[in-house]
Amino acid sequence: MNDRIIFEDVSKFYGEVLGVNRISLSIPPGITTLVGPNGSGKTTIMNLMTGLVQPSNGRITVLGLRPTDAELFSIVGYCTQFDFFPRGITGWQFVFDSLMLHGMEEAMAIDLAAEAIERVQLGEAASRKIAGYSKGMRQKIRLAQSIAHRPRVLVLDEPLNGLDPMARAESIELFEELGRQGMHVLISSHILDEVDRISDRVILITGGYLIAEGNIHQVRQEVHEKPMQVLIRCDHPELLAAKMFSINHCVEARLHADGKGVFLRTADIDQFYSMLNAIAAEGLVKIDAVAPADDDANAIYQYLIGTEGGPS
Amino acid sequence: MAVYKRNYTVYQGAVTPPGARVLVLARYAFNEAWSSKITVGLFIFCLLPFIGSLLVIYLANNPVARALIGGRGPETLAIDAFFFLRVQQTQSWLALVMAAWIAPRLITFDLTDNALPILLSHPISRFGYVFGKFLALFTSLSLITWLPCLLLFADEAYSSPQPWAMSNLHIATGLIAGSVIWIAFLSVLGLALSSWVKWRVVATGVIFAAVFVPAGIGAIFSAVLRTKWGLLLNVPIMMSSLWQRLLGAPEPQDGSFAMPTLAIAIMLSLASLVCLGMLNRRIRAREVVRG
Repeated sequence: MNDRIIFEDVSKFYGEVLGVNRISLSIPPGITTLVGPNGSGKTTIMNLMTGLVQPSNGRITVLGLRPTDAELFSIVGYCTQFDFFPRGITGWQFVFDSLMLHGMEEAMAIDLAAEAIERVQLGEAASRKIAGYSKGMRQKIRLAQSIAHRPRVLVLDEPLNGLDPMARAESIELFEELGRQGMHVLISSHILDEVDRISDRVILITGGYLIAEGNIHQVRQEVHEKPMQVLIRCDHPELLAAKMFSINHCVEARLHADGKGVFLRTADIDQFYSMLNAIAAEGLVKIDAVAPADDDANAIYQYLIGTEGGPS
Repeated sequence: MAVYKRNYTVYQGAVTPPGARVLVLARYAFNEAWSSKITVGLFIFCLLPFIGSLLVIYLANNPVARALIGGRGPETLAIDAFFFLRVQQTQSWLALVMAAWIAPRLITFDLTDNALPILLSHPISRFGYVFGKFLALFTSLSLITWLPCLLLFADEAYSSPQPWAMSNLHIATGLIAGSVIWIAFLSVLGLALSSWVKWRVVATGVIFAAVFVPAGIGAIFSAVLRTKWGLLLNVPIMMSSLWQRLLGAPEPQDGSFAMPTLAIAIMLSLASLVCLGMLNRRIRAREVVRG
């Protein structure tokens, strides 16, 4: 079986409204994050991937299966952003009934439901009615429902919404673990700091069009029109800035607020690091730390989509 | 970059056939319908005519009880096709009330809560989803239509001093067929209309309107064109004719227009097809919120 989710020139129109246009993707296992403003087409891509809507044009395969194949639903787990639960049921019943809908035998459904609930650390609360759950607990039980049938592909629409910092950290840990185990985890999120930390790759979309795709650092290097910014912690930032400005590729320098570092922008990061090594070897400046200052999802988002901060 | 351990275990065990999964949805829907106290209250109310009919059968077959209420003869309390026609008509119109209450609960909650994406992301088709809801509604309506009617038939068969059941088997089949046609039609109609109206109370009203408003339109049609065929839009008259024929009850001798059974069947089929088309258009996993 193919281990990739493949979109080939996929377009989706809702009547005259554009969902996504001519999207081509090849997503390997690991954690992939969809980033884009509201209305950009993130949910449409997720719906196409989970077979809930069919493309107007193009071809989609999920691990070799087409969205029209009934088997697809068995290998995909989908956690929507909508707060839906059948009224009056407990968390445990919600997961159990979902497993029954997946066609599990009752004994197996009981085992898998218990496993999933334990995995999201919902514990005793699973036996309580969902109506009494906090928003974070509702998010957890939805996540449990989506992983309970042990899918190969996990599609999570804003899974960190409403979670407190502790629950968010637990969820991220779970996503990382599933991604490391070789599952496809596809997340749409606007919490870009956390996305940045856990994603193997990002997909940036806006207005239904694919803007960029790939490893965050690789994508950043491809944004040629925005020279990369590097923060260098050192004892003589002014001297370092002067030295670096002698290089043609260095286009901007800004002292750090605490005076113990300098932000430098360069159009050629490889030459920049070579020169920095040379300056350090001279011993005129003692360099304590070097770190990219705009090599993250937030900066890429800002450069490519043009909005300050993440999507709302 | 993640290090892939590739030790994730995918479920590869046995799965139940798709039909069994539909029953899970039907169970959800049935629980949803009957979780309301109003549903239970309506159910009890719908059984009152049935209890009254039980009493009539008792009186008809018990000379002592008959003597106590004035000694009227068995001819005034005849338990025949006409008696069962009245029972079936009463129960069937009560079923309309029940359907108008339950059907919106089964569909509108899912639509307002955007539940379809999560439900249809399971290995269950749109047809399976609708069929599960249909089963729940059909079962609920069965409890107040053909099941109590059959109980009355069985009671009469047991209570009658003469052999009665075998010579009146057509009544039993008529009761089942007439009720099944009606509640199947009501179920499809109720689900289709509920899928287009997000407000439950409005959906209830629309279901009543869908049954009675065309009757008015049909009457206008008949008056303007000086024809009797406008009656084909009159669901109450159409169904009464059908039940009458299925039970073998005497036709009215007042010279009124007798609709051909084929025409009734075509009208009911057309209306059901329109309802299925409405469900097909509405029951989709597509989310209206894009982001």
